[in-house]
Amino acid sequence: MVIIPATTGQMGVLLGHVATIAELKPGVLSIHDGNDVSKYFVSSGFAFIHANSFADIVVVEAVPLDQIDASQVQKGLAEFNQMLSSASTDLEKAEAQIGVDVHSALNFALSG
Amino acid sequence: GNRELVLFYSQIGVDVKKNVIVTISSDKGLCQDEQGYVQVGFCLLISKVCSDLNSGPDKEIKYVILGEKAKAQLIRDSRKDIELSITDLQKNPLNYTQVSVLADDILKNVEFDALRIIFNKFQSVVSFLPTMATILSPEVIEREAESGGKPGDLDSYEVEGGETKAEVLQNLSEFQFSCVMFNAVLEHACSEQGARMSAMDSSSRNAGDMLDRLTLTYNRTRQAAITTELIEIISGASALTG
Repeated sequence: MVIIPATTGQMGVLLGHVATIAELKPGVLSIHDGNDVSKYFVSSGFAFIHANSFADIVVVEAVPLDQIDASQVQKGLAEFNQMLSSASTDLEKAEAQIGVDVHSALNFALSG
Repeated sequence: GNRELVLFYSQIGVDVKKNVIVTISSDKGLCQDEQGYVQVGFCLLISKVCSDLNSGPDKEIKYVILGEKAKAQLIRDSRKDIELSITDLQKNPLNYTQVSVLADDILKNVEFDALRIIFNKFQSVVSFLPTMATILSPEVIEREAESGGKPGDLDSYEVEGGETKAEVLQNLSEFQFSCVMFNAVLEHACSEQGARMSAMDSSSRNAGDMLDRLTLTYNRTRQAAITTELIEIISGASALTG
């Protein structure tokens, strides 16, 4: 089973899942193979679940959770929050918001 | 993951009005200029074939050129059709970020029904295949899906996320474009390295052959000169004694 971070929420994919194209948001991808679980933090992308029970997950970057530095995450979160509050144009706001979203997801992933 | 490529990669037969051809080439030549031209020549052959396929009333072809070599060649015959030309891509090592910025630029500035990316696909160090990858705009996909063409398979998929299905498909189409571009640019870089390797190899061999030939000539000339001097000396000596 695979749990993917779709924009509509965490989605579990088992054998025989209906064919789907899902848009992904930054979050944790966890792969359950019997009793082994491997977790990766993925930036956004798309997941394709085909009718023959094959799933293709295409993301820009994927990092195993244990390779993420927690202190950098906190620093990044504080920085982007600050940028968000001092942002003036819509573009700056959007960029800062993306930074906040990704870092919060990272934070959540590390703690959860 | 070849299934998604199958879904989108090979829509060459789809009939569209506005084709934009993205040609990928290198900036610098290889060590032998002919190799460079052979490579670009193949790509241009494809471009021309493409143009023929798509010519007809209402049909438009525009070019987006990546790399100096293609620009130099295409500017001669199709100057007015060139929408965008980008060079100096090879200053930094290839990465997805750079390609996604490029893709963004192209999507924003160029109107298209179908994007045709032309590049050299790497097969082995001595052989590469000029390939064309097609990306259809979301409107064309909708149209084809309704009329029951290959993209009709898309309907069998549920779509999660976003406000509407159209929005997700738009995102998907843009993401797909940058991914396919990245693939194309990588394959092309690989083919270029391969061509460069074989060009370097043949130059080294040619230089080796030349060295051997010249060494022989040098020795022969040196020996001939010595023989001439000896003959002169001996004849002079025998003229004195005899």
